Amino acid sequence: MLMEKLGMDKIEESKNRVQALRASRKDIKWPLLSEEEKHHLVHQYHPDYKKEAYGEIRIGPNRGEKTVLEVVKLLEGESSIASESISLSAARQVDVLIIGGGGAGATAALSVKEAGASVLMATKLRLGDSNTVMAEGGMQVAISPDDSPIQHFMDSLRGGHMENDRTLLKTLVESGPSVAKWLLDIGVLFDREEDGNLSLRPGGGSSRARLLRCKDYTGLELMRVLKDAVLDEEIEVLEFSPVVELLTDGEGICTGAILKNLDNNKYLTVQAKTVILSTGGMGRLHIQGFPTSNHYGATADGLPIAYRAGAALTLQDTFQYHPTGAVYPEAMAGILVTEAIRSVGAQLVNSNGERFVNEMETRDAVASAVIRECQEGRGVETSSGRRGVWLDMPLVDLLNGEGTLKDRFPNMDRQYSRYKIDISKDPVLVYPTLHYQNGGIKINVDGESTLKGLFVAGEASGGIHGRNRLMGNSLLDIIVYGKRAGRAASLRASETEFRKLTLRHLEEYQKEQKSAGVVPQIVSPILFPDYVNKD
Amino acid sequence: MGKTPSPRGGMMSRSITIEFDGAPHYVPEGITVIQAMWHLGHPMIRGIGCLNGVCGACTITMRSPSQGESRTALACQTMVEDSMSFTFLPPDASKKAITPLSAEVPDEKKLLHFYPETKRCVACQACTTICPQGIDVMGGVRAAINGEISAVAERFTSCVMCGLCSMVCDARIRPHRVGILARRLSVAAHPGSTEQLYVRIDEINTGRYKEEWERVMSS
Repeated sequence: MLMEKLGMDKIEESKNRVQALRASRKDIKWPLLSEEEKHHLVHQYHPDYKKEAYGEIRIGPNRGEKTVLEVVKLLEGESSIASESISLSAARQVDVLIIGGGGAGATAALSVKEAGASVLMATKLRLGDSNTVMAEGGMQVAISPDDSPIQHFMDSLRGGHMENDRTLLKTLVESGPSVAKWLLDIGVLFDREEDGNLSLRPGGGSSRARLLRCKDYTGLELMRVLKDAVLDEEIEVLEFSPVVELLTDGEGICTGAILKNLDNNKYLTVQAKTVILSTGGMGRLHIQGFPTSNHYGATADGLPIAYRAGAALTLQDTFQYHPTGAVYPEAMAGILVTEAIRSVGAQLVNSNGERFVNEMETRDAVASAVIRECQEGRGVETSSGRRGVWLDMPLVDLLNGEGTLKDRFPNMDRQYSRYKIDISKDPVLVYPTLHYQNGGIKINVDGESTLKGLFVAGEASGGIHGRNRLMGNSLLDIIVYGKRAGRAASLRASETEFRKLTLRHLEEYQKEQKSAGVVPQIVSPILFPDYVNKD
Repeated sequence: MGKTPSPRGGMMSRSITIEFDGAPHYVPEGITVIQAMWHLGHPMIRGIGCLNGVCGACTITMRSPSQGESRTALACQTMVEDSMSFTFLPPDASKKAITPLSAEVPDEKKLLHFYPETKRCVACQACTTICPQGIDVMGGVRAAINGEISAVAERFTSCVMCGLCSMVCDARIRPHRVGILARRLSVAAHPGSTEQLYVRIDEINTGRYKEEWERVMSS
């Protein structure tokens, strides 16, 4: 009891310093880092550069390259159907099979339907259960007169450390305005200015204000409407039916997939002319022990199955740790505090109440700076042993007028108020949280992977964002590439016959495992994180 | 591969008693109801989703000493309390009307055309009382009856589509579905134009950036 009291006193003391110094910090502009300073900061503190967290991929298309140990294990894992006898005669036939029911999958489904092909969606939980639904900050589209797609491109390229696939990125930014129009057409309610134009906000690493949003519920709004539109089109959706393996014709073309019905554990073989994988990210792998902002189902299911079937990955060694994940209360650990709050003036301050970084640097730089403060003893430790720095949100009201936080960030306000924390009065503790996989399955501009007939859209794909995604580019990505993958997969399906269903790629992968001396340590995809208490 | 997110450190994790499935259980203090389920050995598949309070999958009804009456909540956003009891609620089973949005000017009467039962509201407040997001649901329903489409849209901004409002409605009204339709229709009804957007689309289509792109892409 005494120790707990001492701990709390220390936190209170630090918080009081933050409150006391607020007025003196209010109007100070913190300088941006030079490219060189940023390079040093990121290389020294960002988890992507922690050598001991990485290992070599010993088999498959990316053999000899590196990624984090958790993903190595996933890629080298054993198929869950290795010891099952599953009928490969198709229970269902469809032009385009879409695996994953988040924003990218739903957009792709609408696009396939529009192209006139038959479509079946399968998803692990319910339609709409995804990271999309949680996106708060917005969607980057270069609309304002002082902005251009080129400007958007340059910002994203710099943010991605110049390692973005330029063709993919060009298509992303150039398609922005037309997909924004499409979203308006299907009924997405973005915030407006009084003159009727779409309201635009600044985001980290971006030289212009170009975030479209719906309060801090942008992803919820997007997903709600996409889901409603999918239901309006009467597209068939198999819920609680994750994919466990892809099927090929044995000659390098993807021809279908095996789904698992979670209600009765029965397998369903689907034959398709083309397959779109939109299985999302991997936060629930808790890479390097980080908490995550991700959905319960974010276990990178698409990566191991696509990889085993022969699809190459790209930038599979880089991840986004969002700088401001909640640290306290414990029940909120890992939950995102949207970057948009920093873009309207919230400051990051250490335990001494001092600022230490320009809050609008790119996410990798801000995250690195927060980690540095904590490693060097200027963080605050909670009673459950987590560390963090302060995000001083009351400043937002001070700078923009009372009530701004409650009005613009109702979701954040509601989440904290559930734990009796008033974000307009008190700063909150934050620390980087595992947020996004920057890389993924390599695609071309039609969304097709290096495995013919397998298209990928959304977070499961890689290349667009280089080594660090800018805020607001993922919502754009899922819509732009969801549509493109849907269109291209439909077109291909119209020129293709159904081909045979085999698991020959799996047999070959197992052979490769053996000859490389790889002993699978887990079954993959894992489908769900294992949080169950074993005691 | 997984990492148990249950709280570390002894000081905070005093054990408390909760009631689930008709039996008392001991769980550490300071965790959410979802985390308590994991603690009790339930690998969750249904009744779980984003874990961030926005997907509407984990609705529960609960009773606790600090809140006398029973109330609904989202399990991922609710801390366990000593002597609380809870039950998971079934998923939304309400039928969605097929509501194609046409390019013509939206008509607020469309709300009632697709969801005619909305008119039967007897103002009992059950929907508002049960909403885990604290939305004035009944106010939204009344606004729909009055054809105030923007007012309906505004009220349902934070709706997570859990469907509890429709579950408790004696008149079989589907407020959350009326809410999202109002939102979608109101986009087309929004006064003012998005002129900047159309200008930009035109610029891209007519090749305004072509030369700049060539320069950028070849550098």
